[in-house]
Order: sequence, then C-alpha cells, then structure tokens
Amino acid sequence: MSAILEMESVSKTYGKGHAAVQAVDQASMKIEPGEIVLIMGPSGSGKTTLLSMAGLLLKPTQGRLLINGEVINGKSQRQMADLRLRTLGFIFQAYNLLSALNARENVEIVLNMAGNGGKAASTYAAELLDKLGLGSRKHHLPADLSGGEKQRVAIARALANDPQLILADEPTGNLDSKTSEEVMELFCHGMGREQGRSMIIVTHNPAFERIADRVLWLEDGHLTNGNGRTNH
Amino acid sequence: MLKLAWRNLTNEPTRMAISVTGIALALVLILVIAGIFAGSEEFAVAYIKNEPAPIWLMQSGVANMHMSSSYIAPELIIEAEQIEGIKDITGVLYTGGNLESGEDSILGYIIGVNPQAEIGGPWKLVEGRQNPQRGEIVIDAELAKRLGVELGDEVNLFNTAHKIIGLSRGNFGIGSSLAFINKQALSEWMAVPPDASSFALVRPDVGIDVDALAARMQSELPDLNVMQQAEFAASDIDLIRQMGVDIIRAMNLIAYIVGLLVIGLTIYTATLERSREYGMLKALGANNSRLAVVVLSQALISAALGTLLGAGLAYGVADLITRISPDMLILIDPEYVLNQIPILTLVTGIAALLPASRIANLDPMIAFKA
Repeated sequence: MSAILEMESVSKTYGKGHAAVQAVDQASMKIEPGEIVLIMGPSGSGKTTLLSMAGLLLKPTQGRLLINGEVINGKSQRQMADLRLRTLGFIFQAYNLLSALNARENVEIVLNMAGNGGKAASTYAAELLDKLGLGSRKHHLPADLSGGEKQRVAIARALANDPQLILADEPTGNLDSKTSEEVMELFCHGMGREQGRSMIIVTHNPAFERIADRVLWLEDGHLTNGNGRTNH
Repeated sequence: MLKLAWRNLTNEPTRMAISVTGIALALVLILVIAGIFAGSEEFAVAYIKNEPAPIWLMQSGVANMHMSSSYIAPELIIEAEQIEGIKDITGVLYTGGNLESGEDSILGYIIGVNPQAEIGGPWKLVEGRQNPQRGEIVIDAELAKRLGVELGDEVNLFNTAHKIIGLSRGNFGIGSSLAFINKQALSEWMAVPPDASSFALVRPDVGIDVDALAARMQSELPDLNVMQQAEFAASDIDLIRQMGVDIIRAMNLIAYIVGLLVIGLTIYTATLERSREYGMLKALGANNSRLAVVVLSQALISAALGTLLGAGLAYGVADLITRISPDMLILIDPEYVLNQIPILTLVTGIAALLPASRIANLDPMIAFKA
C-alpha cells in the first residue's frame, strides 16, 4: 500500500531577492495509512506553512508532493480543491465553524459540497455528531456551544467526507486541559485511525506525544525526526 | 449553499432590513415617478377621451392639443358640415390662462364652449350648471378648493371677473386643469371671429363607419387635420412622454445606482466580516464559483424581497398621495413593475461582483489564523 502523503525535498520561499524568506527548507516526510504524525517546533518555525502545503493550500516553491502516489504539483486550483474536499479533512485551532449554521448544518455543508445532499446527508451528519457526544447539541448555533463542543463539531465536519488524511492545526490550542484530554482521546480512538485514517497534528501540546506514532521537529524550516521519540 | 446564503442573511436581521429597505425605496422611487408621469398623461388627455366625439378636427399640421395652437376658420366648419354621415360638429376655442382668486393663481387650459352645444363642456358636473354665458365659468371642484372659492363666487380670468356657475370633476391635474367659459367671450379675448374654433368635435350619424368617415373628411378637407379620438389622445400622450422621458430615465438611473450601492455595500461588508468563514470553506474544498453562488444568492434574495416590498409600498404611496392630493393621479402599471425585475436582477448581479471577487482573491490559509 502506498503512502497517503509524500513530501520530497519540499521548500517554500516567500518573497524574492533580498526580501526572500525560506519558510520550509528541503522537508521530506511520508505519511503511511493509519499513522499519527506530530509536527512540533517553536513559533515561526514554518509549521503552518508545512501543514498548508500538506493540505494542498499552498504550492511548494521546490520539491514534489504526492497524494496516494500521484504527483500534485501541476494540478489546477480547482483540482486541488476537489482533492482537499474528498481526501483531506481539516481541524483548525479556532474551530472555524460557520456562525449562521447550526452544528448539524456545519457538518452537512461539506457533504453537500461533495455532492451528497438531501435527507441522507442530514441524517449522516446527525449520526456523526451523536457518535461524538453532541446528540443533544446538534441544533445549536456555534455561539451557543462551548469550546470543546465546537471542536467536536469541527472534528465531525473533518470526518464527514471520510477523508484518508486529517490535518489538525493546534486542535487543543483554545481548550482547557480537561477538554484537551477529551479531544485527544478522540484523535486516538474515534477518528478512524484503526481503519487506516492518517493524521498530521501540528501542536505545541506535548501531551499529544503519547498518541503519536512519530514526532517530527521543525525549526527554521528544517524538518527532522523529533529526538527519535516514537510512540504507538 | 442556498441555505448558507439564506442563513447568512437572516442571522443578521438589521443588515438584511437595511438591504431590503434600500432596494424597496429605490423601486418605490422608480415606480412612483413613472406613476406620476402616467397619471399626468391620463389627466392631460382626459378632455379628449371623455368628450363623446369619435372624430376631431384641427388646423392642418397640428396633431396635439397640448403645447400647440390651432385655428379653424368658420367657413371650414361649414364646409365640413356638408359631408355626408355627420350628425353634428361642435367647435371649441382653446387657450391657456391664469385663474386667480385673491393671492392664489393657478395656470390652466381654458375651453370656450357654446352654451347651446350638447358636447365640448365638462363631462362630469357635480354642482351647479354647465353651458356658461358671458362672465360665467365652470371649474373643477378641486381647483375651487385650491383657490378657496365656492359655487357662486368669482374668479379672475384675463383680468375679468367670472362667476362660478358649475363645479366639475376630473378636470384638475398637474399643469392640465381645465376651465370652461363662454366661447364668444373667449373669441373676443383671443381676437378671432366668434364662429372660429381651435378644435372641432365631430359626432357621426348612427351606424356610420367612423374609419371611413374620417378618411373621407381628410380627403375633402385638405386644410384641416382629421384625427380619430384614440389617435388624437395617443398623439398627446406621445408628446407628454417625449417631454418627460429624459426625467424618468435620469430618475430611474439614480434609483438603480442607489439600489446597486445598497445591495453592493451591504453584501460586501457582510462578506468582509465573514472572510474567515469563506476562507475556511475554500480550505475545505469549496471552489470560487460555489462561493460566488452564496454571495449572488444573498444579493438576489435581498433584491427579491426588496422588490416585493417596494412594489407594495409604491402602490401604498400612490394611494396615499392621491388621497392627500387628488390632482396627483399616480398610475402604477403592473407590467411596468414586472419590467423592472430583469433590470433589478442585472443590477443585483453587478452588485454581487465586488464581494464575489473579494472571495475569489481570498487566501484559504486565513483559516489557519488563530
């Protein structure tokens, strides 16, 4: 089985000439099915840039990016958007729920975007929320949900289109320690790792190390194995 | 995506109300102005339409009652009366004049009618009598109210006191009020023979083909212009429209620009405030055209609601104005209302372009900002 995501000597440079900033330099990594990979590093080290390239939101200046063995570099914006929709799931630090839609509709909208509409989509979105313990909160607007509840809605949304890879950017960054534990538990059991779903988690939270298969360290744009730490 | 558009609107009722009201007011402006002109047209041709004369005679080269001067020599009327198939011909004199009472003065059209004539005078008398003798006048009841006079009072016309002997209805409109005085008295003021006319109203015999009679009269009376009633009224409406069309176009343009700015700005500011949400949707895989549909739908929903509200308001405003000021007839044609829909749709589409382009240029990485 091929890797879900491969980065081969990927670099990203912002600006030109003397003003050029090398955000990521010759980074390589391979994400296997079912693997949880943690990317850690100090602020400004290039973590979000690396995650954005892995999430097909940013094109590398150099290097190759492959999804399921297919080179992505030459794809159009529309093709990349379609790949994101069907292959990737995103979880953001600030949840980024649509404020005008309730919890169920926030999940349902990504199903609609992928061409799954009607009552089936609505029922499936509700089932996902039920599984994540939000059965009684699915008709609430984001403004009426707690931080932990919002993040669980965001997780349900990330899972809705059954992606192969989930990219999470500081998923517990806005949560208290108790809620962080609950969310972390979801990453470990409940997001389909057992079924081969992979995850890349960018975080400052060292507690995630215990659920990660591998920890990568990013500093000044250079990606290295994180002190050889490995957890299963 | 339509649900998102609808929820984005309804979640911010104040912004939605501003947007919908702005479009509604723009439409009210368009419809009421057009209605005022349509009402003015109706008033302006009321005399032609209400007199029971299927054929009208006027000086050759003249085709309008408004903004024109017509003279028919007495012998031409006599000659016309010889044509077979005519029941009678009633000549009237027509000119402009100021009706004055105290400090009040209202410009109107003065019709000189023969007291013995069966037609040519006011068609709806509400008080008193018609057929004015020398020194007498019939005016519209609304005009009398404006001048502060009643039946039996006097108004000044051509520096001569005229006693009000009758009050009529339907002869008072903006710039098109009619007053009826004695034809002979008016001929003296106009310095024309007493049997001369400005226009002549022709009634055919029973069973006569009006089209054929009009054609025959035109061929036998080359010094006159012969027009049928509907044709004459249409000619005057055309003239009035030509006078008002530029004003209507200018006002409509202003109203459309107001509508465009209202929709554009409200949707644009709403889009700006939700930039992060749109960015997130792009990150998740929504393409630009899908998001443009959201913005366009918001604009179209606002425009549709604004159109419904505006049309309703316009009819209400028209009714209210007509009640307050009966001389202002505002006729809002439902077809004209429907004609605004494609224009407003286009305006809405243009208004949605700016926020849609804003979304198109939005960097989906905005979603990663904490």
